[in-house]
Parts: sequence; structure tokens; C-alpha cells
Amino acid sequence: MQSQSSIVNTPADDTSSAPALFSDYEMPTDAFDEAFTEDRQTRPHWEHLLNSIRGLTNDGMVDRQARAQRILREDGATYNLTSDPLTPSVWSLDLIPNIIQSDEWRQIEEGLAQRSALFDLILKDFYGPRELIKSGTLPAEILFSHPGFLRQCHNVTTPGPHQLLLHGVDMVRDQTGQFQIIGDRTQAPSGAGYALENRTVVSRVIPSIFRDSQVHRLSAFFHSLKGMLSKLASEWTETPRIVMLTPGAFSSTYFEQAYMANYLGFPLVQGSDLTVRNGAVWMKSLSGLARVDVILRRVDDAYCDQAELRTDSMLGVPGLLEVVRAGNVAIANPLGSGVLETPALLKFLPAISRFLTGSDLALPSVSSWWCGDPEDFNYVTHNIENLIIKSAIRHANQSSIYGHTLNEKQKLSTLAMIKKHPHLYTAQSYIPGSVAPVWQDGGLQARPSILRAFTVSDQDHYSVMPGGLSRVSNSVRDKIVSPLSSSTSKDTWILASEPEKQTAQLSDKLILQDEALQTNLPSRVVENLFWMGRYAERAELSTRLLRTLFKQMNGIDPLPAESRRLMLEMVSIQTGCLPGFTEADDALIDAPDSELVSIITDGNRPGSIKANLQAMINCGEQVKEMLSADTRIIINELRDHIHELDRAYTNGLPAAPEESLDSLVTSLLALSGLNHESMLRGLDWTFQEIGRRTERALQTATLLRSSLTKPLPAAQQQQVLESVLLSVEALISFRRRYRNRARVAYGLELLMLDSTNPRSLIYQINQLRKHIKKLPRNNMPSAGLSPENHLIIKSLNDIQLADLDGLVQVDRNTQTRLPLEQLMTQLLEQLEQFTVFISEKYFDHTAGPHSLVENNWEGH
Amino acid sequence: MQYRVRHITKYAYGAPVSLCYNMAHLLPRDTEHQRCLNQKVRIYPLPVYQNENTDYFGNQTFYFSIQEAHKKLEIDVTCDFDITPIDLDAYRAKSITSCGQLRAFMQSPRTEAEHLAKEYLLDSPQIRRSEDLRNYAKEIFSDEKNVLKATLEFTHKLFSEFTFDPNTTTVATPLEQVLAQRSGVCQDFAHLAIGCLRSVGLPARYMSGYLETLPPPGQEKLIGVDASHAWFAIFLPELGWVEFDPTNDLMPSDQHIVTAWGRDYADVTPLQGVIFEGGGSQQMSVSVDVRRL
Repeated sequence: MQSQSSIVNTPADDTSSAPALFSDYEMPTDAFDEAFTEDRQTRPHWEHLLNSIRGLTNDGMVDRQARAQRILREDGATYNLTSDPLTPSVWSLDLIPNIIQSDEWRQIEEGLAQRSALFDLILKDFYGPRELIKSGTLPAEILFSHPGFLRQCHNVTTPGPHQLLLHGVDMVRDQTGQFQIIGDRTQAPSGAGYALENRTVVSRVIPSIFRDSQVHRLSAFFHSLKGMLSKLASEWTETPRIVMLTPGAFSSTYFEQAYMANYLGFPLVQGSDLTVRNGAVWMKSLSGLARVDVILRRVDDAYCDQAELRTDSMLGVPGLLEVVRAGNVAIANPLGSGVLETPALLKFLPAISRFLTGSDLALPSVSSWWCGDPEDFNYVTHNIENLIIKSAIRHANQSSIYGHTLNEKQKLSTLAMIKKHPHLYTAQSYIPGSVAPVWQDGGLQARPSILRAFTVSDQDHYSVMPGGLSRVSNSVRDKIVSPLSSSTSKDTWILASEPEKQTAQLSDKLILQDEALQTNLPSRVVENLFWMGRYAERAELSTRLLRTLFKQMNGIDPLPAESRRLMLEMVSIQTGCLPGFTEADDALIDAPDSELVSIITDGNRPGSIKANLQAMINCGEQVKEMLSADTRIIINELRDHIHELDRAYTNGLPAAPEESLDSLVTSLLALSGLNHESMLRGLDWTFQEIGRRTERALQTATLLRSSLTKPLPAAQQQQVLESVLLSVEALISFRRRYRNRARVAYGLELLMLDSTNPRSLIYQINQLRKHIKKLPRNNMPSAGLSPENHLIIKSLNDIQLADLDGLVQVDRNTQTRLPLEQLMTQLLEQLEQFTVFISEKYFDHTAGPHSLVENNWEGH
Repeated sequence: MQYRVRHITKYAYGAPVSLCYNMAHLLPRDTEHQRCLNQKVRIYPLPVYQNENTDYFGNQTFYFSIQEAHKKLEIDVTCDFDITPIDLDAYRAKSITSCGQLRAFMQSPRTEAEHLAKEYLLDSPQIRRSEDLRNYAKEIFSDEKNVLKATLEFTHKLFSEFTFDPNTTTVATPLEQVLAQRSGVCQDFAHLAIGCLRSVGLPARYMSGYLETLPPPGQEKLIGVDASHAWFAIFLPELGWVEFDPTNDLMPSDQHIVTAWGRDYADVTPLQGVIFEGGGSQQMSVSVDVRRL
């Protein structure tokens, strides 16, 4: 029998930890409670969930919460990736979903679809006849003074019945439980992807509770989105190429963009990946320019086209708007849709709805006052403590002003600010928002919440996501739910009245990347993968060399002065942290610790281990959507190792420095192993491999040149040779093959000429030769070899034709092994030139656009 | 009266430009008093893409893109016009609105035209209302005064207090500086007048076009000596938009040819856009020739 359980009196048959679960839960006095009634009874639709959680006990919840965090981190669910790629903030998710009943949701759904349809009509009117202005239904200032009203977009239309294609709606429940809408997102609404990630994580961490709860699935919404986008270009193509336009890896919601691009199967592109030619938009891909038909954008309106909109934008595609105007590309949402986000619209919505549709809105908006109206401004003046003041224009770095947080002086200055440009401000009555239970400190706690819902244009109506992104503030007293990225989020469960039928094509699983995605990689993506491979290889060899150095320096016998100096010099040359030990006096050679610490942990020093790792992780972040889940796990491990390294080296070299580097080497090896074992042999893999092989060849040649060109007395020569072999993991093979005959020529044979040694020079060149054959545009139109091919074949010959005995001859004048030095120098030059050819041919080198005439952009 | 206008814009770049996208406001528009008889546009090098359109303000736009490397860009526009003189006496006779009334109508618009005119009362990309501008103009635009008379008086005030001097301003000179230094060119005077009118609560817009200049008596007119011109218009409920030219202290009748109007220069920039690569130093020259047919 299921009885209504109360919060304080838990059923007697519960375990002893159960009462603690609810003991901290404060019943709200001035807000609606999602889970509990006023007389502290669990609402029926919450019972199953809360009982199940009680059954899990505290340990079970802690365990699951930790698992959720781990999955989020492994998925790369981050936000606000600042310039430091080592410390990304992980998306915060509370495991307890917010639950809405089927009947109630049906009404909300209707209201949201109606609202989107109305906003669509408003958008059409703003960029068309402007009847709302002419009739005085909406005060002219609201439209005409809004910088998001882009006059350049006048009469520019998107194919299909709707102009507004995606709509995000923020809403809160008032004290009576009625939802009220407090804001709209109409440019590039964010949050739908986070909602999907939340669902994925929650359903994995509490699978049986999820399964038994009959929750509406989210996939149908994304299916509608994909269908809608595909239809936008139906006037000119049956097989549209759809891309997702991102502001880049430093965008605060980049994770979501990468996640959605993968889920939907669209290439994720930046403005500079696209170009306008011959009146159409093209993606700069490896196989040349590929026509783009539809753009799902996450770049704000004004930043999308430097030719007609903001000339100072770094994110746009110059000439884009004209292509839209000519009907050769469609953008969702269309450019100019941002003007609908003005909060000033809310006050006039009821009248607008009657004017445009003859009917009233089912879902109310929060009570609003527009300060451009003297009566409204008067009201605001006298009631500011109960209001939120919002600027007509949403700025990234300017939040709303909450009247109840202001002292007298601040109130006056706020009012004075409004009075200067009253038509630019709107006041909304402050609704604290319903409280929802979150899991915190071993029990349930009450937190104010807000819900962002999503709609998408679907044929002649709007489909509503059955769910949404719930967010809660960080404490019960903190009534202000902060911006999307920095508050705790929740999954939102809309309960189905009956079990949902599983349809084959609609699963919450990732839609696999289609083949076109593989062959049509943006040049920027492969460039990042190429560099990711190079940095990984660089970091690995430097780390190994340092590890060897530490082993030798801390060995039983002290290193003789000459080999000690040489080995320290090798570290400086290999890392490029110059001059370092190369021009060092004896004092530095005797006390090398601080320089060594710097070479390892100084992230600002190009060539240091940390700088290489940072650069590698950075490249990875730029192409997040291309990395497998396992790769992200290893990258996270690397992040952890770097932090451990920072700690270990805070006070100089740690006691056993060689061991401190072990875990780093292991992770880097895991990364390259993963590339080898788990990555499809697509062009993304090929470019990463080309990067790795070229870098390993460069590193090896550098190492051979710096270590073996200087002749040393026999014992010391052997020590240095063994160090080199140890660094490239070849010492054991060497000893097996040559016993104790540690001659330099034998070393060179193994490290240069042995094509079975995966660390030899010739092995890298052979691999490169194989890889470049697979590249597009590899064949020259004429019979000759392409320049990159030419260089590889020449390098191969140079190595194969080398005379080992000749190479190790010591030149009388210079007292060095001059032939060896010359060969290595030549190979290094050829390989560097090879990377230049690859880069020029396959990567994008267009410089940014310059403005012909500086136009002053309107901004208040 | 019929005119032929030839407007040649030339750009010379220090290094070759590989790609450019441009939006031009160089084609004429029809107005109540002006009809374009024919127009010819020639662009060198030949654009790979070009398209004509009508913008938000009803102006004609011309969009083009060049994809071949070029160190020189030339846009040559020739248009023939037929202009019906504006009957200024009839304007004066019909004008009834006072400044106070017009301000009140703008506060509570009565007609579609008045609602739409509010767009020209607000700040725009290059013109911000200010206390300084208001103080400069407020006496002339006192409540009881007839708007048309007051604007004529104000036009005369600008003409007599400001010096025409092309060397003291650029397209980016702020209005406050123009007001302080009491000098500038036609575009500055138009912006200044608009800024003052908006600051005293009256709607005004920017007019861009050409003016026929006449040679001194007995001399042959030289080719290419004319220039683009700018003036302003004010909205009156009974007359619509009425034009004034503060640079020449007159109301245009049949010597002003309109290419475009907007809130200010930024809405009707003759040529805007971006170029890729090259560019380096960049030199622009413009030659305009207006002659009677």
C-alpha cells in the first residue's frame, strides 16, 4: 500500500539513515514547493522518486552523485573554458530531477507553442510591414531604439512557414503554482544540449528509477529540429549540407555546441571555416570548398557578417547576409531575430496577441512596466524594491538589477540611470520561483528554481521539448538564479500518462556521425588534430629525456663532468628552452635544479613540458567534438597529472624526480595507443598521425644531433649513448642485439636505419610516405611528384644511402662527427619544409577581413 | 529640369586585394519630385556576383563581390534624372504646425506616419542627442513658433555661424567637436542640424545626394568639380518630409538630386564592405559631375 509520506514522519519501516535525508529541508513560506504540499505531504507524482532515493541511502546517493560528476567530466561537459585549458569548470548537475505531471505539461505545451507562433508573427511584422508600430500597439521606441533591430535584414525571409525557428523560454512558478514567463531567447537559444546531457547522465546513474517513472523522451524534439533544418533548403537541394556555426572553443557553452553538433551529425564550424564565393556559402574542407545550405548558428546576430553588420567581428562570415537575401543559404534562427529578446515586449504581449491573432495568450508573462511610459516609470519609482530592472538590450556582462538588494543610495542612482534613457529599461515584478529539492550534504534541501523550455518550428506548428533545463540557485536564501552556465542544473521529467512507445529511429543515443562528416572536415579541425599529435609527441620525448637525465644524475656513480654537461645541454636543445644549459657556466651545471624545474613546470615558457601539454590540450578543446570519450578521459588524467606535477615541484625538484614523470609518460602513451587502436582511419586520424610522425622524426634527429656529434671518452660515450637509447625506449633491444658493444654506429643503425624499430627515423619517414598517399589532392595534375612527396622520398633516400661508418668519423678541424651533424641538419630542414608544404596545402591561411570603411556600430 | 550625374569612385591599394564584398548606396531613388530616367553602373574589375535591392529606407542598393586579385577598384555610375521643382511657396502656405504641437504629436502619435516618424527622433549610429545640442537650438524652436519658419531660421543660423572647411573634420568627427569648432562640411552640418532637432524633440532625417553647382558667370563649367552633398529633412504632419540645406542656407527645390536617406550617414554610406588580404595603404578618390541635359 502506498500512503502519502510526510517529510518529518518517515515511514517506520525505513532504514535509520532515512530521517536524515529530509531533516534539513526547509519548507518555503513565500514560494510554491514542487515536491511537497503545504501540509508537508509528498505530492503524489514525486512519491516514487523520493521513496526510491530514500531506499538508496546516503552512501548510495553520494556514490551516484560522484559517478554523475565523473561522467560529466569524461564527456567534457564544461563551461566557461577560459584561456587556461587545465582548469575547466565542470557542468554542475543535481541528480534529483524536477518532475512535472502529464496533464499540467499538456497545458504548458500548448501555451509555449502559442507563444512561439506569436513571436514568429511579431518577427515577420518587425522585418516587414511594421503594423504593430503603425497602429501604436507597440511604442515605436521599443523597436527603433533596439540595436538588435537590424534594418539590413528588412524583407529578408527564410523559406517555410515560420521565421522564428527555435525559441527558448524562461519561466518560473509563482506562489500559486502558476508558471509565468520571465524571458525569451530567440537568437541562438542555448540549453537544449545541456538538457540532453543531463538526461543522459541521470538515466545512466539512476537507471531503474528513470525506467520505472515513465518519462517522456527528448529525442523527438531533436528529430524535429533536424527535420526542420533539412527542409529549409528544400527549394534548391534534396541533400542539404547543414553546419553548426560556433563562436569557438572559448564560448561559454562550447561543450553544448560540440555535443549537439555530434548528436545531430553536423560539422561544427567557426566563421573562418566558411567563405562566401559566387553568391553561395562554402566550407573550407580538406577536399576543397563544399557548398553549405543551412547554418544552425550559435553566433549572435550582429557578429555574423563583417561586410554588412559589425565590421569588428571576429566570428562572422563576410558576405553572409547577402547570400541569405539572395535565397542561397538559410540560417536558424534568421539574422535579426535577437530583437525579440527585449524584455520591453512582455508588457505589450497581450495587446499584440489580440492585434495579430485575435486571441489571448494561455501562458502569462510576468507583470512588466516599460519605463518609456511616464505612468509606468512613476510606478517603478515608488515600487523599485519589489521589482527587477532589466535593460532592453541583453549584455553579456550586465545582469539585471534586483530592487530588493539595493540600499537607498543605490535605488536613487538606479532610478537616475533609468531616467536618462527611460525607454531602454523595463521592470518586472519579482517572483522568487518555486522551490525544488536538491541533494546536498547528505540530505534534501530546498532551492528556488527556474525552467528553460524549448520549442522548434515543425511544419505549420511548433513542437515543444517534453522536458527542459531546470536550474536552481546555490542556496535557499539566494533567490537569484544566476546565468545558465554557473548555476546547478537538473534534469526535467515530464511524466507520461502511459508508457511511451519506443520508435526505432528515435532513441536518446547519439546519432552516429555520417560519412560525409568524415570526408568533409573543416581545414581548421585537421590543423588542430595535426598539432595535437605534434605537441603530444614533443611532450613525450622531452619527458622521457628528462626522466633519463634524472635517473643518470641520481645513479649510484656520479656522472662525469663532461657527460653531465652534455646531457643537460641535450635537455635544453630538445625542449627548445634556450639558452638554458647550452651556454651555462659551471655554477649552473653544478646546481641545475631551478632550471630543470622551470623546464618542466613553467607553462609560460615555450617548449617546457607543461607548455607542450597545455598546447596539446588546447588543440584538443578546439576539436572537442572529434575526440572519443576515452580520449577525453586520458586528457582529464593529463590535467590531473599536471596539477600533481605543479604541487610536487612547488619547492624545487622533488626527492625522486624521475618517478614524478612516470604517470605523465604513461598517459601520453595511452593517448597514442588509443589513437592507434580505437580511431577510425579517416582523414582526422591521418592528419594526427602525420603530425605525430613528423614530430617524432624531428625530435629524433634533434636528439641524435645534440647527443652523438660530440666525441667523448669511451666510458662517457657509452653512458650518453645508453641515455639516448633509454629515452627512446630502445636500450633493451640494443643490448640484446649488440651485447655490450656500445658503439655509436650501432646506435645509429638502430635509431636511424632499422625499419622495424617504431622509433627509428626511417620508420617515421616510411609511415609519412604511406599517409600522404591517402590525402586528397595528393596527385599533381602533371606527372611530377608533389613537393611534399618529393621531400619525403628525398629524406628516405638520404637515410638509406647514409654510410654508418662514415657518419661517425670525427672531423679533425671541428673535433665533431661532422657528417652525422650535416645529415641530421639536412633531415631537419627537409622535415620542417615538409610541414610547411602540408600546412600550406591543407590548412586555411586566409588573413582576416579588413573593413573598407569603418562603420560606427550602434551600441548604447 | 533634367540632369545627368556621373559619379566615379576609385580605390587604389598598396597590395593586391584577393577578395571583396561591398554594399553601395550609389544608385538614385525615385521620390515625389524626382524620377530616374536611366542608370548605368560599371565596375572594374568585373564582379563575380552583383545584385540590386531596395533597403529598409526604400533606397536602392547595389551589392557586389570581386574574387580576382586587384590593386584598383573603380565604380562608375551614370544616371539621368527628371526633377519637378518643389513649390516652396505652397509649402509655406500650408505649414501650420507649431514646434510645441509637433513635440506633442511625437509624444502621442495620431497617425501611421507619426508613429513611423518617431524613428527619426531617437539616437542613431552617428547622431546622439545631447544637452549641448539642445541648448544650441532650443530658443529657435520655442513652443509657439511655426516649425517650418523655425527650421528656416535655424538653417540660416547654421549657415552664418559655421565655416565650410573640409580640413577640420572627417567622417568620424563627433558632433560635439563640430559644434565647438564651428566648422565642417555639408555632412557635418546635416548631422549637426539633425542632432539639434532631435534634441529639441523634433524628428529629422539625413539626405544624401548631389547638388548642381554653377560656374562663375562667363566661365565654362569644369568636369568633375562637383561633389556628393548632404542635407536634412524634417517631418511635418501636414507636409510630410520637408528638406533644408544648411550648407547653402536654402530649401532645396530643383537643384538637389537625392540618392538615399536614412537616420544618418551610416545608413547610407556610399560604399561599405570588407577586403581580404593586401590592401596595405589604401587611397580613395571621388569625382562627381552634375550637368543639365
